[in-house]
Amino acid sequence: MKKLLALVMAGAMALGLVACGQPAEGGSAGDDEFKVGAIYINSQNDTSGYTFQHHQGITTAMEQLGLDPESQLAIVDNVKEEDGAVSNAIDILAGQGCDIIFGISFGYINAMDAAAKEYPDIIFSHATGYMSNETNFNNYFGRIYQARYLSGVAAGLKSLETGNNAIGYVAAYNTEYAETCSGINAFTLGVQSANPNAKVYVNQISTWGDEAKEKSAAQALIDTYNCGVIAQHCDSAQPQMCAADNGVFGVGYNSDMTDKAPTAHLTAAIWHWDVYYKEAIAAAQEDPQGFMNSVGNYYGGLAENFVGISPLTNNCADNTQAVVDAVSDLIVSGEWDVFSGVKLSYNIGEDGSVEIVRTDADLKDNQGNVIVPAGGQSITDEVIKGSMDYNVEGVVVG
Amino acid sequence: MNNRQPLFRVVKKNQVDGRKVILSYLIAVAVALVLGAALLALMKVNPLDFYSKMITLGIPGNRYPARSVEGFIRLFVPLLLVSVALSLSFRMRFWNVGGEGQFIVGAICAAAAAFLLGDVLPTPLVLLAMVVSAALGGGLMGTIASALKVRYGTSETLMTLMLNYIALYLLRFFGETQGAWNIFLTDDSARPRFETFPDSAQMPTIEIGSFSLDVSLLVVVVLCVLVYIYLKYTKHGYEIAVVGDSPNTARYAGMKVGRVVMRTVFISAALVGLAGGFYVSSAGALSTSVTNNVGWTGVIVAWMAKLSPVGIAVTSVLITVLQYGCQVASTTYPNIDSNFANLLQGMILFAVLTADFTARYSLVWRGANKEVSA
Repeated sequence: MKKLLALVMAGAMALGLVACGQPAEGGSAGDDEFKVGAIYINSQNDTSGYTFQHHQGITTAMEQLGLDPESQLAIVDNVKEEDGAVSNAIDILAGQGCDIIFGISFGYINAMDAAAKEYPDIIFSHATGYMSNETNFNNYFGRIYQARYLSGVAAGLKSLETGNNAIGYVAAYNTEYAETCSGINAFTLGVQSANPNAKVYVNQISTWGDEAKEKSAAQALIDTYNCGVIAQHCDSAQPQMCAADNGVFGVGYNSDMTDKAPTAHLTAAIWHWDVYYKEAIAAAQEDPQGFMNSVGNYYGGLAENFVGISPLTNNCADNTQAVVDAVSDLIVSGEWDVFSGVKLSYNIGEDGSVEIVRTDADLKDNQGNVIVPAGGQSITDEVIKGSMDYNVEGVVVG
Repeated sequence: MNNRQPLFRVVKKNQVDGRKVILSYLIAVAVALVLGAALLALMKVNPLDFYSKMITLGIPGNRYPARSVEGFIRLFVPLLLVSVALSLSFRMRFWNVGGEGQFIVGAICAAAAAFLLGDVLPTPLVLLAMVVSAALGGGLMGTIASALKVRYGTSETLMTLMLNYIALYLLRFFGETQGAWNIFLTDDSARPRFETFPDSAQMPTIEIGSFSLDVSLLVVVVLCVLVYIYLKYTKHGYEIAVVGDSPNTARYAGMKVGRVVMRTVFISAALVGLAGGFYVSSAGALSTSVTNNVGWTGVIVAWMAKLSPVGIAVTSVLITVLQYGCQVASTTYPNIDSNFANLLQGMILFAVLTADFTARYSLVWRGANKEVSA
């Protein structure tokens, strides 16, 4: 009986092969077409969050370059950070003729590094990573800390206006990751440039996204420290909605959260992933051999419009736009950067004119250690991206 | 008396017609595929195209067809070995649902051997050490549950189930905690990341043209044949069958039931651990999602195949075609994600299990009681 069953099931499979063989041959696409591959940690059908942001970025970039995401984008989604699974995903995308493959999650790093050697004529591009080679493997990330500084300026000006010096920050992680830690520090420096008396109270939820935890963490900050502004580094808009419910203000992250919390939201630090994707895809299309020279390891910031802040709302304090614009110009011009031994402060005239005052001052951590001496150069990108593990003065870990 | 009877009872059919069973399987798969086709059509995807890509694993028109076969084998090897291993326990009615945990511990032990010995010993000895420690680690996990059952009569279902989480969180602890003691993590990353195995700890491959055959496939096939022989032609195999049928009969016949249970569960769990060891050696690194749920899928495969080794081999092939094929096919369509692939797999499995049930059992309604019970 069992043998018979096995035979018939095998037979059914063979039949399926024969029956379906025909359309497969007819349906194969032309070889000349440029193809983009993507490996996602979640689903492309998400409506918010990390994968959603990247998928938006890739499809937007492709449309701008005249490529059709329907036929020229191949996606393997829900790929866990496991080398076997990532290799499988890469093999599938390579087999379908992808010319450039993007991997958006940190844990894809080993498999992408190995694949870059195995497939020398495909370009591999890895978000948030630190590995690369000289021909076909780069990494990309952004100076989101610059955008966080600007959002901190908006929060600081608001705290001056309300007279409430307590600002809350719902953080996925803090010193465990340079990404989260540098975000908290940059935001705090921005806050203190506008209001030197303000403190930033950090409540860590130890996950990148959990709506219930994000909400209760924001509520705890408001209840415990009487925070008047709630900033965040986590996936959902729950902290902003919580701020609105409590009649306080908020600074969002990842997307413009104004429609979720119209009475609270000031601005949000956001990514423009399409800026990188457009550059990378165009380079891979035009001159794949020169990819590492033209694009290389990418770390774009305000100057490239790779990061930014969402339009300021009417909840912001007076003159916020003028101050933020002036600071933004200063960063874009390359004259000044966030983690340096020069602090900013602002003289705002009666007529709304803004004068930025630059003062040499030690950049200290919240234990009193000097990180950058007064007037010193900015911390290197490697530290900001990879190894920062302290909080600056003004951060209070709650 | 009559009123107290349930609305219906499930009665095993006396005679099961093999052809009917197969027919009902085929109808079930067809129904699931038609439902899937309707969903695909709703998403503006041509169902025939999708299914043909799925069944052919996307090989026609593929730039690297050998890689597709390798990817298929990468999924198939652990599923086959874990299913066969679990069926050993199930034949004895020992409900080993700890495949996930045994697989993980096997993987961790193999990784430990790889990092401690990888730079010291030559490749064959490193691989041998990895294989032995993976089997011992997995076997130990099974033995915890079987010893508690034999000694104290605890429920092995609960024990093996809960040990899964202990193993998983142990692996996560290794994956997220940096420290000089942690041999599993790489030193050159600020963010915790599993280290790649030294070359001597990577599963060897046999190059056949552009196709590289993972040696673990050959080993696993041999192991499955050995399990088949063990079950069918040895005294141990006979004891497993008797204990599974009735522990009291086994005791009456002078068998030491506790010993048979301990021995068989150890072998079963050791084979699962071995699958974990093979897998990390082929993948070349640990990961917190190393099992790919094979400890659960293996349970389904073992039961769908009615615990027969040959049946398990066939069912493993079919399930892997379904899993890998779905992934390949959904890659081609930007709006089809793996959630759809999971849904389709779920529908097919559910339909087949329902068909199997209806072919072997019938429902007897309260009113119809007298006629049937005669």
